[in-house]
Amino acid sequence: MALDLQPPDGRKRVKVYELRQNDWFDRGTGFCTGHISGEIPRIYVESEDEPIRVLLESKITKEDGYQKQQETLIVWTESDGTDMALSFQEAEGCAVIWDFVHSVQQQLLSVAAADDALSDDLENYQPIQLQAPELGNLADIEQIVRAASMTQAGRDALSKFVIRDEYIGKLVPLVTMAEDLESLVDLHRLCNIMKSLILLNDNTIIETVVADQIILGVVGALEYDPEFPTHKANHRQYLADQSRYKEVVPIKDPLIRRKIRSTWRLQYLKDVVLARILDDPTFSVLNSLIFFNQMEIVNHIQSNAPFLRELFSVFDPRYNDNKRKDDAVQFLHQCAAIAKNLQAPSRAQLFANFISHGLFAVIAFAVKHTKAAMRTTGIDILMALLDHDPVMMRGYMLKAVNEKKTPLTDTLIDLLHAETDLGVKNQLADAIKILLDPQIPMPESLGRAGPDFFKLRSSNLLSDAFVQQHFDDSSKRLFQPLKHIANRLSLNELTFQEVTLYSHLVDILTFFVRQHLFRTRNVIHSESLAPRVAQLLTVPQKHLKLVSLKFFRTLISLQDTFYQALMTHNNTFGLILDIVCETMPRDNLLNSACLELFEFIKRENIKPFILHVVEKYRDKLDQITYVDTFRNLILRYDQMQGNGADADATLFSQDENAPQRLPLSGQRWQGVKEMDAAEEEYFNASDDEDEWTQESRAAVAETAVANGSASPVVKPLVDYPDDDDEDEDAMDTKPEAAAAADGSMETPFPQVEETAVPPSPEASSVSEPSSPVSQKPSAPERLAEKRRREEEDEDELVKLAAGPKRRSSLSSNSGSTVMNRKKTLSIGSIGSVDKGGAQGVMGTVMSSAPPKRIAINIGPVKSASPDSAPCEEVVPDAGSEKENQDEQKGETTS
Amino acid sequence: MSDLDRAIEQLRACRLIPESQVRELCYKARELLIEEGNVVSVDAPVTICGDIHGQFHDLMELFRVGGDVPDTNYLFMGDFVDRGFYSLESFLLLLCLKVRYPDRITLIRGNHESRQITTVYGFYDECIRKYGSANVWRYCCEVFDYLALGAIVLGASSELEPSGSNANDLTQSTIAVDDGELETEVLNSRGEVTMSSYRPRQRASSDVDTDTQDILPPRDISAAPSQTSAPTRTGAPGTGASGDGNGSSMTSRTGAVLCVHGGLSPLIDSVDKIRLIDRKQEVPHEGAMCDLLWSDPDEIEGWGLSPRGAGFLFGGDIVKQFNHQNGLSLIARAHQLVMEGYKEMFDGGIVTVWSAPNYCYRCGNVAAILELGEDTSNGGTIARSNGEYGRSNGLSGPSSVSSPGRRYRVFEAAAQDTRGMPAKKPVADYFL
Repeated sequence: MALDLQPPDGRKRVKVYELRQNDWFDRGTGFCTGHISGEIPRIYVESEDEPIRVLLESKITKEDGYQKQQETLIVWTESDGTDMALSFQEAEGCAVIWDFVHSVQQQLLSVAAADDALSDDLENYQPIQLQAPELGNLADIEQIVRAASMTQAGRDALSKFVIRDEYIGKLVPLVTMAEDLESLVDLHRLCNIMKSLILLNDNTIIETVVADQIILGVVGALEYDPEFPTHKANHRQYLADQSRYKEVVPIKDPLIRRKIRSTWRLQYLKDVVLARILDDPTFSVLNSLIFFNQMEIVNHIQSNAPFLRELFSVFDPRYNDNKRKDDAVQFLHQCAAIAKNLQAPSRAQLFANFISHGLFAVIAFAVKHTKAAMRTTGIDILMALLDHDPVMMRGYMLKAVNEKKTPLTDTLIDLLHAETDLGVKNQLADAIKILLDPQIPMPESLGRAGPDFFKLRSSNLLSDAFVQQHFDDSSKRLFQPLKHIANRLSLNELTFQEVTLYSHLVDILTFFVRQHLFRTRNVIHSESLAPRVAQLLTVPQKHLKLVSLKFFRTLISLQDTFYQALMTHNNTFGLILDIVCETMPRDNLLNSACLELFEFIKRENIKPFILHVVEKYRDKLDQITYVDTFRNLILRYDQMQGNGADADATLFSQDENAPQRLPLSGQRWQGVKEMDAAEEEYFNASDDEDEWTQESRAAVAETAVANGSASPVVKPLVDYPDDDDEDEDAMDTKPEAAAAADGSMETPFPQVEETAVPPSPEASSVSEPSSPVSQKPSAPERLAEKRRREEEDEDELVKLAAGPKRRSSLSSNSGSTVMNRKKTLSIGSIGSVDKGGAQGVMGTVMSSAPPKRIAINIGPVKSASPDSAPCEEVVPDAGSEKENQDEQKGETTS
Repeated sequence: MSDLDRAIEQLRACRLIPESQVRELCYKARELLIEEGNVVSVDAPVTICGDIHGQFHDLMELFRVGGDVPDTNYLFMGDFVDRGFYSLESFLLLLCLKVRYPDRITLIRGNHESRQITTVYGFYDECIRKYGSANVWRYCCEVFDYLALGAIVLGASSELEPSGSNANDLTQSTIAVDDGELETEVLNSRGEVTMSSYRPRQRASSDVDTDTQDILPPRDISAAPSQTSAPTRTGAPGTGASGDGNGSSMTSRTGAVLCVHGGLSPLIDSVDKIRLIDRKQEVPHEGAMCDLLWSDPDEIEGWGLSPRGAGFLFGGDIVKQFNHQNGLSLIARAHQLVMEGYKEMFDGGIVTVWSAPNYCYRCGNVAAILELGEDTSNGGTIARSNGEYGRSNGLSGPSSVSSPGRRYRVFEAAAQDTRGMPAKKPVADYFL
């Protein structure tokens, strides 16, 4: 017997352990080598300190006693029963020795087998030799292949042989032979052999399989799956069909043509022929082959200027082969789909190339197509671009506006209004959402730039006013239909199309508000959209009600005084309570959504709403007893009222707040803390007087409109919006003004207000001992470690992080991180009104509801008839607040 | 034959319906689902099913083994899509059946009924492949948002009527019958009993039960108008169970069964809390709604971190406490592959039901469905206290409820001649 093995090179540093009385005894550190001396394979370890001393000399046996553990450990039992362990310094060293041990064992086993003459030489994998295939010996071949596939060594040997001998090519003719003889048994054997060979998972073999002269034979064999003896697939028919390959503009490079074909075959293998039996390694081999092919194809296309010119010239208006135009759109669509899988730089390059050749014109052509399927395809291409780089796309769009061309957004908006195919409408809404996304993304996407990327970006960043104006204009256009429902007497007879349109519009509006409340404010108030959405709460279509409800729920969660005023001055809560009453005590989605809204207000302790709701709708609340949500709301209200201002002042203002004020004045940033409702309310005062006036004026107008429409009795106030619109228009025409306003809105706040986050006196004055946030039942901490991916688990959210961005923007509550950041910016400018009040509270007097009072102050009810303001009674000291305000002013100026 | 019936026929043959019809179906389903609570009340008898995962032919096998709709009432605990190659056919068929027989079939949401998950695990690709655009995927995802989060089964009988078709092992059941009433029974796909377990009779406690038994007003018949025509299938307890009247009044104390895809949440201490969730949203990454769809029971105490990255692990003590507090006798859930098709844990406090045999076409597991019989011992009235709001307050005194009789039907992947070779649909044309 001859061991045909190369002992491993080099010496691996290792510690030798022996198990003595259940304890690992350290026999010393040394260098490990594998030897074959006198046909006997051994592991040697000689001592590091005294090279002559042998720490270990162990004969490798064929018994299966060796274990590799944790990359660096080899553990086994000596023939005398001693347990031994080698702990390697390097995983690589361990692997080398392990491989040596492993291959020695393999050989010993096969040698032993040969010696015993119990089995034939099938198990001797070194090297493997298959007979030239013929129908007569398929059974033997199948058996050898199957046996060889069991071990890694066998697989390697088999792969080598199959490649060297071009064995698959030899198998192919047998398929037709067996078919001619109608020998199902042989066909099944061929199928099994093919499967095993493919699952050897070798790049070269798989590339061979999809080669022109081989592929049909291979899938032919795979048509006869013995697991489905009564079935025959028709893979050949599919793959032989040349007409499936379409060429808009012929690709001349034969290499690329071949790549296209083999990619298509690989995909077919992956998705159809092998779909059921693919193991993970083969799956990834197929995927990577496809990926690299596609890379090459796409690179070829985009670097092929004549090809691109010809491709895009198809869309020349003078040219009227419509079929070809459609095909060209499909072609581009497929390119875009492939691009999704490419790495960002190649993708950017491809898109930039397409765009410079006129991709936008193609999109415009497609989205106006008479066939809905083509419109869908066109928007899909657009979405691919938007997914790839929304900033770039917005840049192009703004450039178009700047050059007085019709921007893509206008086209899309008009289409959205007119579109009747609901699927396309859906897509349009998504595209508009992203194109108009008022949020300016951080420049994190630098680097995935197209040619004029930087130019675009800089123009984009610099002219914020311009962006705002475009946003306002587009939004006006977009929400026009929503505005029109103000004139409708009844919303009971909405058409299906109208309902769909409204729900898309409200959904988009909700998205805008959540993304960036400052930009959206202008639109919401100048177009008085909130009352329109409120109107939609009364429609018979429940899903539309839900969408509208979601809008208000989002407003509430923003905890912004502007939006709070908006809600408290409309009959919004009345309408929501109506829904509760209509649906109760039935347990349905609408009902749950309403309950959740009120639970949120209660949990987050949003005072303005608690006060407003309980004061205005107490009777209604009293009647809703089937859940305790509303009882608790009233309870919370009563607690607020019950804890008198004076008592609180003495309790808290001196002890806790006074000392806390000191560090605040000196220190601006204390990091962004999560503020609860009350805190945010209290400390969201603004320093910016100009903005204050502007915004509060806006709020007055807005609330006036709201009330006007809700109760037409208050006639004179209805005129407000018009005046205001004029103001707005004036502002819109002066971009600098808008810019100034914008700038002042965005930058100063985080510095001034966020620092002011001591524990709210309000929160502690309520008898609940814990802050609203901490009221949740304790759950195990969600540590970062929890997100760690474990190999065996497949359903993981982690995986999704790599998923397409767009779809996460569609999901209704994906904005949480954005929201958090927003929150810090969300300090409402209306809040500036109550600045004095809020800070005054900190100083001396405890007042239970400053924001509420402020809201009343600017509200039309109050201004129209101050005496009749119903809430005035419950506010403890309206006068003292004024004092506080003055006092505070004094403080800040000093 | 209505359009809907035609669509059902077509889908049963594993042929897709046109996009416009899908859209209409989804809108109808939405109208229906919006009226369902986050936790749907379902009356026994009902057959509870776990994950399907697009294994259409195995879903057909499930209907063959469990009885067809509308003859059998079904409750599917989510994960209709992804993994298998026929997510569309499976989900659309279930949705059609839901729209056609709203009272006969209940669908609740699984963690795979989500935009994010379906883009990774196959449903999105399948929609693109089969319909050429993502529109159908959008419609379906919209429906996902409306699906209920759980269901509560009321009026299940604690006692099983032994199945007649006691195949090979007759001695097993005849000996045991005297020891007590039949509690669980496992049947193979041919309806042969392979295992049964019995509950020891406790005369004393059942006497007590008779005394304290609340007779509640009859349930609102109008809510389930078709109740009278409920067909009796083999396995569903017939009237015989109530006829002997002598000993088995324990049945009236059978607790309700909560069905949810994943498990419990530390944020949810009562079934009523689930009602306060606004469920119309993408499945969030954390919070109560996420936990209900993602959590798993585990042999631990209290709560633990889940290796899945969402939801939690919860131990037997949590289950016990939750069941006690809510008057539940059992939590049925899916979400985890179990090789035997079902797995009871924590003294029968929770059961995992898995209905995708040979999962992913290669796991080699069998599947199961769980049948809960109807308790007829109260002359058609059932203890409703578990179904109404405030049930957590209403239960005072010793609330030791007995578990329902459980009949598991175990089945294997559909026979090969009833299906083609499962494969994805190839693309029609290509340019590149």
